[in-house]
Amino acid sequence: MRDVAIIGVGMIPFGRRDEDTLVDMLAYASMHALDDAGLGDKGVDAVYVANMGGGILQHQTAIASALVDRLSLLPAAADTVENGPASGASAVKNGVLAVASGYYDTVLVAGGEKMREVTGWKATDFVATLTHPEVEYPYGITLPGMAGIFTRLYMEKYGLTREMLVAVAIKNQAMGALNPYAHVEMLITREGILDSPHSVVNNPAMADPLHLYDACPVSDGAAALILCPLEMAQELTKNVPILVAGFGQATDTHALQEREDPTDLKAVTLAAQQAFKRANLKPSDIDVAELHDAFTILEIAESEHVGFFKKGEGGKAVLAGKTKLGGQIPINVSGGLKARGHPVGGTGVAQLVELTWQLRHELPKERQVKNAKTGLSVNFGGFGNNVLCFILKRGGK
Amino acid sequence: MNEIKITAYKCKKCGHIHYPKHERCLKCKSREFEELKPEGNVKLLAYTQQFNLPWGFDERFLIIGIAQFENGVKALGQIKAESLGGIKSGMTMKPSWEPVRYVYGEPVYGLKFEPL
Repeated sequence: MRDVAIIGVGMIPFGRRDEDTLVDMLAYASMHALDDAGLGDKGVDAVYVANMGGGILQHQTAIASALVDRLSLLPAAADTVENGPASGASAVKNGVLAVASGYYDTVLVAGGEKMREVTGWKATDFVATLTHPEVEYPYGITLPGMAGIFTRLYMEKYGLTREMLVAVAIKNQAMGALNPYAHVEMLITREGILDSPHSVVNNPAMADPLHLYDACPVSDGAAALILCPLEMAQELTKNVPILVAGFGQATDTHALQEREDPTDLKAVTLAAQQAFKRANLKPSDIDVAELHDAFTILEIAESEHVGFFKKGEGGKAVLAGKTKLGGQIPINVSGGLKARGHPVGGTGVAQLVELTWQLRHELPKERQVKNAKTGLSVNFGGFGNNVLCFILKRGGK
Repeated sequence: MNEIKITAYKCKKCGHIHYPKHERCLKCKSREFEELKPEGNVKLLAYTQQFNLPWGFDERFLIIGIAQFENGVKALGQIKAESLGGIKSGMTMKPSWEPVRYVYGEPVYGLKFEPL
């Protein structure tokens, strides 16, 4: 197997993009990545496109075929990868395996979603189609609902508090306000969403005990990256190559009710263990992390399940400032899904684009983790029933 | 009491109870199961009051929970309550089989739990 490097990345600002089609967004992000790599007019051998909902939301399928044509990358191989909200990392995984195996040398991975052109209740229903079609979906359970059930159990078992959840929201929205790619660039305060009488109006219940500001926005957006063998990176690009040091993927039961302990995110733990083993690193070696905070509780729970903190300690770590920029392990310095947004098929790719910028030391100092050499991402599919973890390393082996 | 029209599956080898159906046991991988009908009242294991409902629901909110029947079958269902007041993990509830949503005017039946 060959070592694989990320040599180019691109993203477009997330948010509401009424003027762009899904393929427009994927094409813009892809062109940024191709130009960033310095590939010029050269093509790529293969294209993997992550998208969850084109067939449902845009009534458009075969998105990869449309993108490769739009980019004039013909006759490159092209595949669409659908794996729910983990589609992005799944597409990157496919690209990494294709390059590592020696079958392809240059691969473009793009991920994106256009979710704002339908009403909120249709977008909620679309995401809920990943729940079990017989024992969950008919009852009206949504992903926020599952997160609400999970949060209450976490509170009962570990003493998690709303104060801890609010601290994640404030931290990530503060970072999002510094990120020009973020959907939500608005500062919030504890008084405004927790302490004052107005908080009841500002921050209504969404899925008890979670409230509005515990959730990420529904976003349009896209991100892309270019992969090649590490040994070819120097001849293809002037960028510092970012090594895909390891990844892991694991699954858990489809129906939440079948988990022996629903607070145990087994797929997160297993995916992270695989990634650390492959990278020959441990949690304390990681300099910066992008975790899948579709809900504030998930940032806390994932930070524990990947091994940054012991179970039940993640919330306390947020309150102690251990996860902010300059802390023990900066988490979601991009603003995370909470502020950058969550165009579901694009998120896993966007996390790795952000980590690449961090490891190339290209971000403004107010968002740059000083001297970052290693980064970790978690892309959380379903409600933890299909999870990928990636570990990136600056400058090769 | 009306019939609860769900079927769970008990592994003949290790006794693990599955709902929904699996082709192989989640615990021991055995392929031999006996069908199991849920019995008795349920104990509430976890719950939420969910606002922002998906397409197809006219209610302002739903209270949804995961509960365990007396013979071990676990299932998700809607809780019949006007608010979360009085709802607690561990409480006993009475199950029933009723419409849980309507699709193009036609009822879709499922589990509802009524606090006792």
